[in-house]
Amino acid sequence: MLRTVIIRLLAMIPLVFLVATGVFFLSQLSDVDPAENIVGPDASAAQVAAVRAELGLDRPVLEQYTDWLSGAVHGDLGRSLYTKADVATSLMQALPVTLSLTFGGLLVGLLLGVPSGIWSALRAGRAGDKAISLVATVGQAVPGFWLGLLLIFAFAIRLPWFPSIGYVPIDQDPAGWLRSLTLPSISLGLIAAAAISRQTRSSMIGVLQQEYVRTALSKGLSKRRVVLKHALKNAAVPIVTVVSFQVTTLLGGSIVIERLFAMPGLGQLAINAVLRRDPDVIQGIVVLTVIVVVLVNVLLDLSYAWLNPKVRAI
Amino acid sequence: MTITTGDGTARDAELLRVRNLTVTFPGRRSAPWRRPGKVVAVNGLDLDLAGGETLGLVGESGSGKTTTARAILRLLRPSGGTIEAAGFTVGAFGRRVPLGYRRAVQAVFQDPLGSLDPTKVIGDILAEPLAVHFGLRGTERDRRVAALLEQVGLAGHHLRRYPYELSGGQRQRVSIARALAVEPKLIVLDEPVSALDVSVQSQVVNLLEDVQERTGVAYLFVAHDLAVVRHACDRIAVMYRSRIVEEGPADRICESPAHPYTEALLAAVPDPDPARQRIQRRRRRELGAPAPTGAVPATGCPFASRCPHRMPVCTESFPDWTPVTGGGRVACHLHGGSPTTPEET
Amino acid sequence: MTEALATGTAGAVLAPDRSGARITARLLHSKATLFWAAVVLVVVLCAVLAPLIAPSDPLKGDIRDGLLGPSAHHWLGTDKLGRDVLSRVLYGARTALLSAVEAVGIAAVVGIPLGLLSGYLGGWTDRILMRIVEGVMSVPFLVLAIALISVLGPGLWKSMAVVGVVYAMTLVRLVRGEALAAREELYVDGVRVAGAGSGRIVFRHILPNITPPLIVQITLMIAGAIIAEATLSFLGLGAQAGDASWGSMLSDAQASIRESFFLALPPGFAILLTVLAFNQVGDGIRDLFAREAKAGSMGVNPVLKAAGQGEAPPAGVFVDDPVLSVRDLTVSFPQPGAGRVAVVQGMSLDVGRGEIVGLVGESGSGKSVTAMSLLGLVPDPGRVRAASIRLDGRDLAGLSFDELRKVRGGEIGVVFQEPIASLNPAYTVGDQVAEVLREHAGLSRAQARERVVSLFGQVHIPDPAARLGDYPHQFSGGMAQRVMIAMALASGPRLLVADEPTTALDVTVQGQVLDLLLELREQTGMSILVITHDLGVVADVADRVAVMYAGQLVECGPTEEVFRRPSHPYTEGLLTSLPRNVRRAGRLPSIPGVVPPPSAWAEGCRFAPRCAHARPECSAGPIELAAGGRDRAARCVRSHDLTLTGVRALAGEPSAAPLASVRIEKKP
Repeated sequence: MLRTVIIRLLAMIPLVFLVATGVFFLSQLSDVDPAENIVGPDASAAQVAAVRAELGLDRPVLEQYTDWLSGAVHGDLGRSLYTKADVATSLMQALPVTLSLTFGGLLVGLLLGVPSGIWSALRAGRAGDKAISLVATVGQAVPGFWLGLLLIFAFAIRLPWFPSIGYVPIDQDPAGWLRSLTLPSISLGLIAAAAISRQTRSSMIGVLQQEYVRTALSKGLSKRRVVLKHALKNAAVPIVTVVSFQVTTLLGGSIVIERLFAMPGLGQLAINAVLRRDPDVIQGIVVLTVIVVVLVNVLLDLSYAWLNPKVRAI
Repeated sequence: MTITTGDGTARDAELLRVRNLTVTFPGRRSAPWRRPGKVVAVNGLDLDLAGGETLGLVGESGSGKTTTARAILRLLRPSGGTIEAAGFTVGAFGRRVPLGYRRAVQAVFQDPLGSLDPTKVIGDILAEPLAVHFGLRGTERDRRVAALLEQVGLAGHHLRRYPYELSGGQRQRVSIARALAVEPKLIVLDEPVSALDVSVQSQVVNLLEDVQERTGVAYLFVAHDLAVVRHACDRIAVMYRSRIVEEGPADRICESPAHPYTEALLAAVPDPDPARQRIQRRRRRELGAPAPTGAVPATGCPFASRCPHRMPVCTESFPDWTPVTGGGRVACHLHGGSPTTPEET
Repeated sequence: MTEALATGTAGAVLAPDRSGARITARLLHSKATLFWAAVVLVVVLCAVLAPLIAPSDPLKGDIRDGLLGPSAHHWLGTDKLGRDVLSRVLYGARTALLSAVEAVGIAAVVGIPLGLLSGYLGGWTDRILMRIVEGVMSVPFLVLAIALISVLGPGLWKSMAVVGVVYAMTLVRLVRGEALAAREELYVDGVRVAGAGSGRIVFRHILPNITPPLIVQITLMIAGAIIAEATLSFLGLGAQAGDASWGSMLSDAQASIRESFFLALPPGFAILLTVLAFNQVGDGIRDLFAREAKAGSMGVNPVLKAAGQGEAPPAGVFVDDPVLSVRDLTVSFPQPGAGRVAVVQGMSLDVGRGEIVGLVGESGSGKSVTAMSLLGLVPDPGRVRAASIRLDGRDLAGLSFDELRKVRGGEIGVVFQEPIASLNPAYTVGDQVAEVLREHAGLSRAQARERVVSLFGQVHIPDPAARLGDYPHQFSGGMAQRVMIAMALASGPRLLVADEPTTALDVTVQGQVLDLLLELREQTGMSILVITHDLGVVADVADRVAVMYAGQLVECGPTEEVFRRPSHPYTEGLLTSLPRNVRRAGRLPSIPGVVPPPSAWAEGCRFAPRCAHARPECSAGPIELAAGGRDRAARCVRSHDLTLTGVRALAGEPSAAPLASVRIEKKP
């Protein structure tokens, strides 16, 4: 088991490296000069050159790359060109916000998605199933930020139960943290819930047609036991796949939700960086999200081994 | 090189000549960075088949019979040995298999539904080889397609049907018609009747015989059911775990087997006559030993672990071929040296 | 058993419907899909005709008319700058659809050929391409889009090009996967042997076969791209401030949410409706090609009690001391184009104490459905009705699912055809067998374990204690079938139902499993109902045989007598067409024609169209099962005046010797 974890963790290094390198060179393709942005349109060529030299942008690209890379390996992701803030530090400040939100969204997705999917599968083709399926299809078509807008209006403005914007760190006020996360998590998680529900339904239906389910029934077990013991564990593999896919989606989706609820997470950082052309910050964000995504996937991969004895042998 | 056929006449073994065919597949890796192990599916196999003859290749699952068929059809690349068929040396083919070879050697597969493109109607399925090989178009092609359908006992209204709209037997007739379209010299039949109902099996076997009588095509009949093979074939080769262990005229193999595995296989064929089956059952119990699991042993006879006549030498070397009285030959240490006469008891 | 379940929904299960006419018919039948297609059409028309139908300029407004509610003049009111919301929504459709077409167009042009190439060629091309795709896909979509937009600069067309590139990766993966799967299909071998080259195989055969999933994916991508456009525009990275886009309208609405909540509704519903419509059309197309969702094995229907006791069956069907006694069992399934058809009709059968009965028939005969009826496990669209199903005198007909639980696995044990598929891959075999003991005998974990070890020993699994902890995939077919038998035996049933217990096994293993069944009958005295298509299996183990054809019992009696002197021409046909290990004389006898589908079963004798002995009276009306002697019954009007051929005794023939065996000549 430990060996598998180590192998998987080692295997993620080339991927992170590949993505980091790709992002670095992509940002070099930009025809916008950050130095020009900083000094403003009225500055002289000499001023621009001075800023470029100060930022080290006049060095050969490869040198910049190796510098950035050696820094990155040591946890130094450079500085923002504008705020001069250390990128690694700002990322670490923003990460808990984004992770809380992503986790909240995932929780909403799982709590609503899995039970509704199972329930739906057991009634495939009947009215209850059709109703759930309809809700799930509509849920998949609702843009999260619109839903958030509606929720803000309903539960922050009309009924002032939750804050409409902002984020309260957990170490300041756990209850406030929970309250500040409720609406964003629902806005973010509902689409995930719809997707998870649909996947749960279809993989449950697939599993229920397997012969071992008939065997379990022919042993005289109750339907409840057949579903919860025999079917669910087998149906879980594709569900886990969708969940791992959803984690990536949720992490991306949190950008919009953070913007809507004015939460100081990675998304806010990213959007500001794009609008200002701040390459180091963008690179840092991409590398960090990839690491988070890969780590989550390693965890989920390990759950496959528990769910499916056939992969355990490898 | 001549071979003796079931009716005792000698024919030139010019059509198919397989020598020392070996096929290996990559096995499991013990770790991601290790090289995968090798699984030997076919090991040093020799086969000869004359024009107009039917050779049965019999074995249980995992014996390598289907792999052999696929290697002859060049659907996979063997790792060793030579295959010469219809004047072609199959080993010399690169990525592209010459059309001439495809014209000479055709195939019918086990699963008649899976082997027909589900998006094409029967007419299109039969027209394709005519277009590819003869460049036929229009009414001439339609005429040929209609003739093919008639040859296999299907009617014109089947032309516009999709494969899933036909029964299993009808689909297998379509597969046979497609193989016949290019007037091949050899058709490789991979379990052609095992997916069919009993009452349909014999229809298809009879059809294959009619076609052979009319066109002189040769068959390599790959199957697991000895009773069917006996009825359909002149000669039989018995495979066990990657090797041929015995071959010879069909009736000789089935009436006086020389290899203990052939004997066990025969004892396992159930007979609908309850009285005869009772005797079969007794025999089966005498010979019974659980089927082995795991890899084929690297040395010796692959049947040794199950064999009631096992001797020390059996696990040390694979036996040489010994001719058998009544035709054919056997690879078994029981029959060393001079020609052997298996006896009915 | 698969065969029997298939009889219910024959066409749908056997193969996806693909013929053009049938697809069109199903499309017209699916009103929901048509409705959503119409919605898509309306959205497209709005987008195309926006300049003609929009009441005012979407970009110009009078700030003094800002934030008006809906009125006759402004149907959907105005925004903060006084612009007409309806016009902006209409133009927004234009933006959304053009963006979607751009993104999906790029994705298709880049993704499909690359995917086909990667999938069909394999090798290094495939490996490198997949590494790139994997890298790109590990970055969340929006993060990636933002990173790329940071290079290209914001702007709708640039942003959507980025979306297109990201979607292309998804398509590469999808098409590659489909092409890879298609390459392994037997039909590709078929056309390869027919002489088709790579180009022909890829474009004439693989592409048409993967087109349905592609169409579905592209439709769903359009929906995704519309959301992506709205999201990016909402963030200010797509459509620029002031442009008519649903996303930027929502961004405007957010700014003035405290003054006018209504502004958030029109663009939001526009997105919802459009995306929903595309998703629904995509799903609708998928359903056209896929088989219909069923509840699976959980949707089982109990056996209903038929009125009356049914007619007493003729001699030959009943025995004196039955363990199981079925009277007048009828199972019906809806058939395509024929309404509900009885796939098993008026079936009566007894199994005596300690007796082995072979229920034999070809695919579609109804033999497996009959077996499942005994357990109340006929899948959902099937309806089961019986006058009585008595197990040791107790009537099971009319019992509910839960009332039958004690019977299933307790009094009746079951063994299925595919042993490995019939065992749950996620649990150890020991756990699965122990489950029966814990359920029915209430044993503790440790007691159950001990008992499982002895059961494994009883079915001759070598080293039973060590194999308890193994998973089904670690077993060979024959060993897995022994596990199934141990499971069926666990609670000491009075009846064992074995549904094609040897069909999936190698021939030498088959015999061993049959021997085990015979041995267990000796030991436990239980009765066994063997369902099989193999007459050899019946001859081997069955004391009595019941032959089914097209949903009816056509002949019943002691195996040896029936097989030597059949009374029904179908039994004769089966027996004579079965290849035996004997020297052959002439052509193999065969039964002409095929087993007809249930919707085409004749009114009279169902075998008459294929029968060599048929007379006009055979088709006049339903034929009754009639006694023929003390313990025989047949459903044939001519059974008394026909002399039918059974298995011949083989005296005199060279192969009369029961078995050839190897004579060992020991080497000197």
